[in-house]
Amino acid sequence: MQFKYHKITFKSYLDFLQLIQNYVGTHEENRIFALKQEHLLNKPKEILLLWLNTHAFRVPKIVNSEKFLTHIGVATNFLGLFALIIGFITGMGLLSYNGQEPINIIYYLFFAMMLPVGSMILSLFSSLSKGRVLGFLTLLSPLYWIEKIFTFFSFKHQFDLLKDSISANLQKWIFINRLQLLSLLFSIGLFIALVFIVVSQDIAFSWSTTLDVSSQSFHDFLVTLALPWRDIFPSTIPSLELVEMSQHYRLGEKLNSSMVEHADKLGSWWKYLAMATLFYAIILRSLFYIFTTKRLQQVLEQEFLNIHGVNKLLREFKTPFVSTKAPKVEKHLEIKDEKKTHVKEFKKSVESKEKVVDDYYNIIGWNFLYDEMLLVNDSKQIRGAFVHVVGGSHTFEEDEAVAQEAEGRVLLYVKSWEPPTMDFVDFLEELIENKKVEEIEVFLLGTLEDGYRYSEKEFAIWNRKIEGLESRKVWVIDAKE
Amino acid sequence: MQKSKSIERNYPKFAVVGHPNKGKSSIVSSLALDDSIQIGDTPGTTQVKRGFPLKVDGKIIYELFDTPGFQRARRVLSWLNKQEPVSADKRTDVVRAFIFEHKDDERFRDEIELLEPIMDGAGIIYVVDASKPYGSEYEVEMEILRWCGQPSMAILNLIGDDDYREQWKSALGHYFRMVRTFNPITTTFSDHISLLDSISQLKEEWTQPIKVAITVLEDLQEQKVEQTINTITLNMKKSLSFVHTQSIKGQKATTKEEESSKEKYQEKIIKYEQRQRKTIESIWNHKSIEKIEDHLVLDGVGLFSNESASIFGLSEKELILTGASAGAMGGLGIDLLFGGSSFFLGSIIGGAVGGIGAKFGFNNLYEVKLLGKKLGKRELTVGPMQNLNFPYILLGRALYHSSMVAKRSHALRGSLKLDDEKFYTEQLIDSDMRKELEKIHVILRKGDEVKDELWEEYKKVIRKSFKKLLES
Repeated sequence: MQFKYHKITFKSYLDFLQLIQNYVGTHEENRIFALKQEHLLNKPKEILLLWLNTHAFRVPKIVNSEKFLTHIGVATNFLGLFALIIGFITGMGLLSYNGQEPINIIYYLFFAMMLPVGSMILSLFSSLSKGRVLGFLTLLSPLYWIEKIFTFFSFKHQFDLLKDSISANLQKWIFINRLQLLSLLFSIGLFIALVFIVVSQDIAFSWSTTLDVSSQSFHDFLVTLALPWRDIFPSTIPSLELVEMSQHYRLGEKLNSSMVEHADKLGSWWKYLAMATLFYAIILRSLFYIFTTKRLQQVLEQEFLNIHGVNKLLREFKTPFVSTKAPKVEKHLEIKDEKKTHVKEFKKSVESKEKVVDDYYNIIGWNFLYDEMLLVNDSKQIRGAFVHVVGGSHTFEEDEAVAQEAEGRVLLYVKSWEPPTMDFVDFLEELIENKKVEEIEVFLLGTLEDGYRYSEKEFAIWNRKIEGLESRKVWVIDAKE
Repeated sequence: MQKSKSIERNYPKFAVVGHPNKGKSSIVSSLALDDSIQIGDTPGTTQVKRGFPLKVDGKIIYELFDTPGFQRARRVLSWLNKQEPVSADKRTDVVRAFIFEHKDDERFRDEIELLEPIMDGAGIIYVVDASKPYGSEYEVEMEILRWCGQPSMAILNLIGDDDYREQWKSALGHYFRMVRTFNPITTTFSDHISLLDSISQLKEEWTQPIKVAITVLEDLQEQKVEQTINTITLNMKKSLSFVHTQSIKGQKATTKEEESSKEKYQEKIIKYEQRQRKTIESIWNHKSIEKIEDHLVLDGVGLFSNESASIFGLSEKELILTGASAGAMGGLGIDLLFGGSSFFLGSIIGGAVGGIGAKFGFNNLYEVKLLGKKLGKRELTVGPMQNLNFPYILLGRALYHSSMVAKRSHALRGSLKLDDEKFYTEQLIDSDMRKELEKIHVILRKGDEVKDELWEEYKKVIRKSFKKLLES
């Protein structure tokens, strides 16, 4: 059954990313799609998801998002369990009590409070930073190095393929979000260890420092730290007296007598430590985790719209499709190769320039005026027994009469720039059919302004047409000067 | 249902008719923005009528018909004249009768093809070549068109170098209400619009739809400009920030490894440019275009040569000035921060640093770096491009190509010449524009991300330059 995408998730992001890299559709297809969903035109996310659903069957399976996400899920679970165990082991280590040296509260507070707060601040900086600064901050995270192990897994190839396509911003937020989850699990492990030790052993806590810190100052510091819960659970706050009696000096070979006397009280620190872990490492981290999860979803939605090609797709949805093309495909004309078989060189049978031989029986002008013909003959020093004009505004009957009366060698003037029409071919065929006509010489004339010169192109057009008639009577005169 | 079909068919239609080989297909090609229409020297290239509808979301606004030329016009007119004399209002029926009677007559195939759309209500656009003298044989064709009784206009197409327009105008004036000059080869977008405007005046009912068509085409033109700018910007972004990474075997890259990395880097940049060109040609509907161009070859003339740098890019002096002004602007920011108490020392130092940087950067191409270990492997990276002139070369080439494609008429079938260096003798990107562009080039050279607002500014500069080119 086809998977349906209802909201923007990491799966829909990955599938959309792959789909749009392989298929974008034409403007026409996309516009038709959008016109059917007009109510969604101003809801880009919704219309894109619908488009993804419509084209889901086209999503290439280069990277199987489902499988990929399962791999990532398993890897995250594995890392989560690992973080939980590490947290528990760290807790057990910090709270290990051999009956001689009390447990150092500062050590524990470092892991249960300082470290979580510090890493949250680092995450916050990471979330606000970009480029090189982000790269540096990321390098500080153990998760970054743990993730390098991914590259040895079976889905390394898929991972590599995708990581280049997924936006840097999204990768950053995925990283930050997962970092919060793993840190939370670490803290839970720590808390479980605390509860476990407190329940199963009788332990004593103390605090110790080389610095000149009085019990009063340390007490004040602890009270300040307990600000979030001190009014709700005042009994968890150690008294000044307890703080004083818990101070441990390095010079005492054994525990001092006061500590031994109040051994029952020294264990009551656990309540404060449990609350500090609960608030700073678990509640605060959970809130931060919820925040990053929400932000990740926002970024995912933003980046979904930033995928390369989405802008074009949305523009095509909204822009009317304008087409100016013909629906019918044009059949391409086959053009025969040019052959010179019907070309005759123009040689005037003249002895001298002064004497022009009256060589043609008929001179016919196609689409010329009579006066124009006289001018041409004079210019070309050609004479004929009869000079006729045909075509143009003449009737068919007139043209037919000229064709029938013609005989011997016929010179046929044509306008070189006007291509031979079927009207001309009809007249030429009549001339060819006239048995008295021995030879028809088609003479191309350019414009008067050009000195009647014609172009090679014009000559080729006429030659091709005449050749198509396949008559041995007709020649195209090549009279280029 | 029947009604909607008839409404759908009630759009203006125009048949482009005339003597063979007078540029009918060229005119249709340029008006329909379609370079796939066959245009040939051989008369009779167009053998059947072909409709080119302007459709918006499938709705036809108007339709142009390309038709074969008249072949046996005298015979048609002779047939029409031989019929019983009718009053002018019945003449169209006689033409219809001709079509009906000769539907299967091979001799009149071309005439039937060209008369059919006219009898179906299409306006007549009669095309003549005004670079050749007028001849009385055209009167037969014009007379037939007069028998059709449809609104008509004549277009003077100047195929050759000579000009016989006055001669033609005097003759055509007797047959057509309107005579316009339109050269499909040299036509610009405004010529196109102006011709459509003239066509809209042929018939009252056609004015509104053609006005709509004009608006649609103007919007389409704007869209194409925007898409071109987006494509150019995207390519600039990709090319300028591109980094090629390659694993190397030893502790230090060998010369061979270095050369192969550089080559791959260059190949990618060239590929980006080729893809950009294809996209732009497709935007402007020039899909069958052939080009004579300076390819981006690795050696000799090309993107990476000093020769093309001097043609499309900036001179060393210009680059120093650009670098200096960009540096000074950065320094000015510091001055403003100190409320001017720095006596504009920031601007002076920034300018000097920028200028000197540009001076030494002029001959630099890309940076080749050896990256640190990645799980025991060493990587060699090439890029991003450090050459200060490179962005201007790339942008210059893109603007030049795009403007040539955008201005090219769809009636042209020859190759597009992109090797006209003279075109760039005048710099298209003035100093103010350069300052704007350099802001982004600096960031990209560093390999940093550019903010969206800056890209918008960048696009604005490219748009300004591109529009200037379109108008030139």
